[in-house]
Amino acid sequence: MGTTFGSVLRRGVLAGVSAGVAAAVVIWLVVEPVIRRALVVEDSRSLHGGRSAPSRLPAHGGDEPLVSRAAQVVGGAVTAVLVGVAVGVIFAVVFARCRGRLPGRGDFGRSMALAAVGFAAVSLLPALKIPSNPPAVGDPATVGRRTMLYAVVLLLGVAIAIVVPVLDRRLASRGTVPSTRWAIDVAVTAALVVLVLVLVPGSPDAVPADVPASLLWDFRLASLAQLATMWLTLGLVFGLLMERADAPQRALEPVAA
Amino acid sequence: MATAASASAAVPSTTTSVRVPLWAWALLGFAVFALYFVSQENGALLSSPAAQMLHELTHDARHALGVPCH
Repeated sequence: MGTTFGSVLRRGVLAGVSAGVAAAVVIWLVVEPVIRRALVVEDSRSLHGGRSAPSRLPAHGGDEPLVSRAAQVVGGAVTAVLVGVAVGVIFAVVFARCRGRLPGRGDFGRSMALAAVGFAAVSLLPALKIPSNPPAVGDPATVGRRTMLYAVVLLLGVAIAIVVPVLDRRLASRGTVPSTRWAIDVAVTAALVVLVLVLVPGSPDAVPADVPASLLWDFRLASLAQLATMWLTLGLVFGLLMERADAPQRALEPVAA
Repeated sequence: MATAASASAAVPSTTTSVRVPLWAWALLGFAVFALYFVSQENGALLSSPAAQMLHELTHDARHALGVPCH
């Protein structure tokens, strides 16, 4: 009996919840302290009557925050879990569709491979081109352009993740030996990534002078840590759940009987 | 099962293929929409006060996820 899609989807949702919770913990422990440092920079601007916080979004150190800081911290955690579930659902559908073609030994290996590709294509590549920024950085006037560039890089990342395996299978059907195939795959991936990074324009914003470089670096590292945690947890939990699904009869029947 | 047979023609190993029903793709579309909603919705679909509320509630996660926020 083959694995049903429903069972794959259930595991995707469960792994997604775990990934979201793990990401929320990293946000709370690693990202929030950096956000607090950035908010101090934002606050000192309005105190000194210099550049004020973006007026379009009054909660950033404005007089009457729409949402309190405490609510923002809780809201951020809830959002991280929701994002985890949505990514888990997408992960499960893609996994079910590509299961026979994913590299790796067993479902655990396949799950980790897909999570690595997912992290690289939709999280790491956009982060390299349009790096994440803490509050106090980011011109509201250019947010539309930055969002568009971010989406373009993300879609190009997905395109690379689709094109290279297609090329690999075409080479395989021509009888290319695995070592040559691997070398071509890696070279083509690297070339495409470099093309994306060179050809797509970067963020039009300059970082304000009152934002320390260490704050920017810490925030970008913290952001990547959160994204990596989400993908790693997703791959691990989904892989473990799928491996357990492989031998449910053996494991469960003695208990049922 | 005809679907299993056709799937095995395309996929090298028959034991690993999982039949993905049509509704799964609708679900995938919904999940992508949900991601857009929590990470990018700034008034394109919601009224301005509602979008602002959503922005502020999801604010910290948006920054952490690295999506352009403001």
